[in-house]
Amino acid sequence: MSTGAKGLQQRQNFGVAQVILFLSIAVLVIVVAVPVLLILFNAFWVDGHFNLADVIKVISEPDTYQALINSLIISAGTTIGSTIVGTFFAWLVTRTDLPYKGFMKAMFLVPFMLPSFIGAMAWKMLLSPRAGFINRFFMRDLGFDGPIFNIYSYAGIILVEIMYLFPFVFIQVCGALERMDPTLEESARISGAGLFTITRKITIPLVLPSILSGALLIMLYSMAHFGTVAVLGIENGIFNIPTLIYQRIHQSAGSFASIRTGTVLATVLVITAAFIIWLQGKILTRGHYQIIAGKSFRPMELKLRALKAPLFIFCLAYIAFTIVLPTVVIFLVGGLKTYGLPFTWENLSLNNYKFILFDYKLTKDAIWNSVTLGFSAAVITMFAGVMISYVIVKMKVRGKGILEFLGMLPFSVPGSVIALGVILAWSGKYGVNLYNTVWIILVAYIARYMAFSLRANSAALEQVHDSLMEAARVCGASMWQTLRDIVLPLVKPGMIAAFFLIFLPSLRELTVSIMLYSPTTRTIGVAIYTLNEDGETVMSAALAGIALILIVVGQTLINRFTARKGAK
Amino acid sequence: MRNRFVVAFFAAVLFFAVCGEALAAQKLIIYTSMKESLIGGIVEGFKKQNPGIDVDYQSAGAGKLMAKIAAERESGKILADLIWTSEVPDFYSMKQQGILEQYKTPLIGEILNPFGDYDGYFTAARLGTLGIAINTDQIKTPPAQWSDLFKPEYKGAFGVADPALSGTSYMSVALLEKQFGWEFFDKLYGNKARIGKGSGQVVDDTASGELAASLAVDYITNDKIAKGAHIALYYPPELLMAPSPIAIFKGTLNLEAAKKFLDYLLSYDAQVLVASEGTLSVRTDVKNADGFMLPEAQDALNRAIKIDYIEMMAGKEALIKKFTDTLQGKK
Repeated sequence: MSTGAKGLQQRQNFGVAQVILFLSIAVLVIVVAVPVLLILFNAFWVDGHFNLADVIKVISEPDTYQALINSLIISAGTTIGSTIVGTFFAWLVTRTDLPYKGFMKAMFLVPFMLPSFIGAMAWKMLLSPRAGFINRFFMRDLGFDGPIFNIYSYAGIILVEIMYLFPFVFIQVCGALERMDPTLEESARISGAGLFTITRKITIPLVLPSILSGALLIMLYSMAHFGTVAVLGIENGIFNIPTLIYQRIHQSAGSFASIRTGTVLATVLVITAAFIIWLQGKILTRGHYQIIAGKSFRPMELKLRALKAPLFIFCLAYIAFTIVLPTVVIFLVGGLKTYGLPFTWENLSLNNYKFILFDYKLTKDAIWNSVTLGFSAAVITMFAGVMISYVIVKMKVRGKGILEFLGMLPFSVPGSVIALGVILAWSGKYGVNLYNTVWIILVAYIARYMAFSLRANSAALEQVHDSLMEAARVCGASMWQTLRDIVLPLVKPGMIAAFFLIFLPSLRELTVSIMLYSPTTRTIGVAIYTLNEDGETVMSAALAGIALILIVVGQTLINRFTARKGAK
Repeated sequence: MRNRFVVAFFAAVLFFAVCGEALAAQKLIIYTSMKESLIGGIVEGFKKQNPGIDVDYQSAGAGKLMAKIAAERESGKILADLIWTSEVPDFYSMKQQGILEQYKTPLIGEILNPFGDYDGYFTAARLGTLGIAINTDQIKTPPAQWSDLFKPEYKGAFGVADPALSGTSYMSVALLEKQFGWEFFDKLYGNKARIGKGSGQVVDDTASGELAASLAVDYITNDKIAKGAHIALYYPPELLMAPSPIAIFKGTLNLEAAKKFLDYLLSYDAQVLVASEGTLSVRTDVKNADGFMLPEAQDALNRAIKIDYIEMMAGKEALIKKFTDTLQGKK
């Protein structure tokens, strides 16, 4: 640490700079580095010595091996499917004359907001083999012998994940297609190339990096995804790595053997994630593909002609089927007296919604916990993020690269790994025992969302020119005064953005809190999941409906807020 | 602006300080695996009779509660004053570990006591039963014997809750194995029985028709019947009973209040509430509530499959694994 802030800083600020740097490193090491390192350490280090044989033994157990394979199957299927769906829709809304493109684009981004485990619950209600509403309709009313689709299967899990993850590719490809220099395509056309040749030789190579980077994001996400597999897979014995970690730890009430199995599985996840990130970096740095003009040319639009109406109807049907239908089902089931009754007026009421908001202790506690946890995590990471970004962006000190690395680490570390890491770090072995309290969830949230805050704050800080601070210093302001009067007011929008970027996702968070909750510290996500598991299907759906309202209202407010900021 | 952020920050810190404080305050805390419908009314009734005592309860699966208690013990203090679940072997092991307070309730003479070795460390406060819940739209002839489950109408559509998640399910698997041997589960596998999730979910799945029938806890099923679900509960002659004991933790700061709650739970008023939820009261003077197809408590006790809980304690993980492997055909 003593190598710190001397460099180019003046002597009199030595103290403040030193303190900021020290604090930044301390925060990141304690919150982020220690948990992740403990996982690796516990995976490879048994009884005081390095033990690789044991790791291999754990991986080659049939259950764990199967979970690894399942994770691969599910994430591969999801990635391929989402890439096709995302690219196709992106092309439709940017490069064709499809009607109502703006509306379509907005609708295709909606799944971004919706928690996929709530979607999985909805699809379970629609397509479970014997009782799903769609299957029952086909069997009872159309005389089918068996269900048309069994959602408790690999295909079911993959399809549901595709519905909620394809926006990752969609958004990237839309961006690339919109910013692409149309003169490239035009010159090809002038030179006599047909549409097919242009697409193959110009368009696809240009957007390929965006497609691939979106696809890798999906792969990363799906490998480590808990909710969908937990809701749809466990019943038929389909486990992936996060659900197996959860089940082992849940079953044994946190015994060491299960935690060790967990750390080995988590290590596999970390290594895969690191590989994916490395691959993504490689693809994105192949700069010569990134010919993006940045000028607002209007790209030429393909005339769909006879296909226009069918494609338009297809898009509407897709939106109705994957977004509207599941949402409606959640709200309807949430209104039922008890699950299994038909949707008739005498069976439907708002009583469940009233009950979970005002009378049901478990759900009231869960909403309170999620709001306070999200708020506290957002406030803390917002301030810590500003401090750390300041060191990274503005301070000229040696060793800040490590800060950058540490800060971005949780971005690539899956949620269940972070959860396992904080269990190892904060369950009393090192003096502090937070396990089974609300604090352990807070620590995990801070670790998980630090990267969000760093991104938002770094972007804001880069906009603040050094000359402003230098001017303040020339006028005799101290380092602290400069920070307070110049820097903070200027980065405020970044801080606010960071706040919401953390507050909203934490309201619907499941992967981390499901591993860490205790009877007193359920979050909204945990409450929805456990109510569903306990067979309180209608209550669970009602709470999910309320969560959806909270999320959509919150998101709309942010969009309003940021749009207004941008306009100023 | 900056001030506002600082204020917000301290407000957040304060929030949590208050949360922590509230938990630490003098208040009776009960950990229970009883669902909201059962525990909520009882706590309300107790508060009404004892206005000076504040009561809080946390309801979760027995496994989750035991994990929390284990963690709390490690950090030095069990936060709960009482525990009321249906996983009887847990109580024997807690007694063995010496974390339960001995309290011989004066009301013991008024109740049906399923524990021959009663010594005041824990007292049965409800006689839970498990039967076969059927979806009345799908199954027309009610099951009379356990062996009816091997019939074709139950094929692929009979569900048992995962014993790893549900204490009552674990109890009933142990009891059925004791009575009929593993052959029973082999035959269930032959008829493609399914492992569900929690003990409530199999009942909800039966109500929705996803399952035609399930191994079901009495009050969970009766609660849904009362709400209009198309299900019914039947008991074969060999009865599955899971008594739900309540115990006081040693070292509680609210010992007198805890004793009062335990006695209240065994009193006529509370047991009427227990019975009204569609499960069996432990009191001889409380009759089953109308409208439920429940056996009489004394008769149920006589018919119940007997098991040695102390023996059960040791074999839990092995039993669950064998059960899961059997029903998934992994043997």
